[in-house]
Amino acid sequence: MSFLQRTVVRALLVTAALASAQPTASETDLKAVYLLNFGKFVRLSGSAASSRPPTFNICVLGHDLIGHALDDVTAHESIDKRAVRVVRISDAYRATGCQVLYISPDEGDGIPADLAALGNADILTVSDAPDFLKDGGMIQFVTQQRHVRFAVSLNAVNRTHLVLSSELLRVALSVTGKIPEDQ
Amino acid sequence: MRLWKRSVRKLWNPRSIAGKLTRVNVLVSGTALLLAYVAFLGYDLYTLRADLIHSLATEAGIVGENCVTALLFDDQQAAENTLAALDHSPHIRWAIVVRADGSSFASYRRDPSIQPNLSKTLLAQQSHEYWSKGTDILLGSRIDFQGRNLGAVYLLASTGELARRAGQFGLLSALILLLCFGIAVAATATVRELVTGPLTNLAGTAQIVSKKRDYSVRAPIPSSSDELAFLVQSFNEMLEQIQARDRALEKSRNELEKRVEERTAALTAANKELEAFSYSVAHDLRGPLQHITNIAFLLQNAPAQQGETAALMDKLVEGTDRMAKLIDDLLNLSRATSTPLHRTPVDLSQMSEKILGNLKAENGRRDVRFLVRRGARVIADEGLIQVVLANLLENAWKYTSRLKVAEIEFGFTDDPAGPTFFVRDNGAGFNPRFADRLFRPFQRLHSQSEFPGTGVGLATAQRIIARHGGKIWAESNGEGGAAFYFTLPDDGEK
Repeated sequence: MSFLQRTVVRALLVTAALASAQPTASETDLKAVYLLNFGKFVRLSGSAASSRPPTFNICVLGHDLIGHALDDVTAHESIDKRAVRVVRISDAYRATGCQVLYISPDEGDGIPADLAALGNADILTVSDAPDFLKDGGMIQFVTQQRHVRFAVSLNAVNRTHLVLSSELLRVALSVTGKIPEDQ
Repeated sequence: MRLWKRSVRKLWNPRSIAGKLTRVNVLVSGTALLLAYVAFLGYDLYTLRADLIHSLATEAGIVGENCVTALLFDDQQAAENTLAALDHSPHIRWAIVVRADGSSFASYRRDPSIQPNLSKTLLAQQSHEYWSKGTDILLGSRIDFQGRNLGAVYLLASTGELARRAGQFGLLSALILLLCFGIAVAATATVRELVTGPLTNLAGTAQIVSKKRDYSVRAPIPSSSDELAFLVQSFNEMLEQIQARDRALEKSRNELEKRVEERTAALTAANKELEAFSYSVAHDLRGPLQHITNIAFLLQNAPAQQGETAALMDKLVEGTDRMAKLIDDLLNLSRATSTPLHRTPVDLSQMSEKILGNLKAENGRRDVRFLVRRGARVIADEGLIQVVLANLLENAWKYTSRLKVAEIEFGFTDDPAGPTFFVRDNGAGFNPRFADRLFRPFQRLHSQSEFPGTGVGLATAQRIIARHGGKIWAESNGEGGAAFYFTLPDDGEK
């Protein structure tokens, strides 16, 4: 990791007001920050907006590569005045109550099944898996020239009551699908 | 051009009301307009700058908002795309977005050769702030998201546009203010026409009146109906009254002169008539009187004379003598006023001696002492002066007739102003209270029986002396003796 990259990551960590104990910021750290930030640009539309759990749960499914970084990043954080909690789950069926679900690339071929298990639940799904969007996921991390970026599939998002902020879409590497007119 | 200069000088002259008005107006309006100009320009510059700062703050806010996700997701490209929109704000020279730790995140440069130099940064608590950098303004605005500081955006704007607008405004204001000034000066000129025009006319009229005493001039009445018109009208009315009074005065003076002339002419005519009448009476009486005298003389010397008849005859002769004397005197008096003067050198002393000698020869029995001072020479009408001296000396002779020793003196005083001649006697004298009556005709202070006389002699003497331009007067203490003085100035008849 270059000096510049380290600086950028540190800056982002500071931006999130996270005094990270880790001496160096890794790609994983950045992704943890992004996971937290995604939560800030997603909302529920229509009648679904009224049912909100008391905590904002960011769930991790599969091999826990990002968990520690996420723990550090979300400590003392809140979204919509709700405390952010990191929840590790082993089964997609147990994702009820999650607002953001990170699916480890280790799930591999099991990802489509995981997504199917979620049904059209209002959960923002994020993963590093290369075909995640094809499999019906919503946001996929893409590392380009050492920069962590992300792609968005609105088709997947539109199946749920979730609404992604246009600001988020503006910084996305690519957006597939259209913003529904009734958004 | 010269006319214009002259009118300007007249307008500016502090000694005329117009000049004072112009000066005050130019000073007041000029000062007011200059102050207004400075105030407007200052206010405009201030508001333009405030507007610029306000719009900069707005732009910085928008840029900041649009850079939130770029900062959150470390997307420099997105931030630079956002900054590129500043290309539409011509006053912005460069912009820079920094992260919360102060490191540069994205930047925009209108001119690629410019190197952004961030000399000032926001303090921890400041949401936005601006600094002046020469003619530029640097404005910083914090980028916050959900209560967290993500960084800041800094914009550097040039005030060149501001200066250009201020210049335009200044030029426009200057033009407007010059126009106002022109209008003010024009208004002054109008006021001058309205106020000082009539006043100048009035002053000119007053000057003509006081210099030439010409009350027929009138000041032109101004067309307006204000105090000035009233003033001019009153002045004109005053002039009219003075003129009317002047005319009346002139008329009465002329009438008076005419009346005096008429009276004088009438008086002169009456005098002439009277003199002619008295002369003709005296002259015409002489013929019959001579006739009576001759007959009386014949009768006196007729042989058949009885006592009583002889006495009556004597009285008749005496009466005719007196009458002859009176007629002679009256003729003398008449001549004294009407005959022209023929001035020749006359020796009064010699003349007196001669008259006294005749008197002595006629009445040789009386003891009379004469005293005549020699050398009384004058230039006068010999015949008339002879009448004067004869009258005075005969009077002296007559009024000393009752004295044993009579003294009669002719003399003169040596005054530097000219000699005063006198005839003095020690005779009966007269009451000094009636001294002025002596010289009136037919006025006598003694009865006929005391001293016979006609009462015409002294009046004749007075007229002759007066015609010679001299004076005659008499003095007496009433006890005894009388003195008659007269002067004969050399400068002839008046």
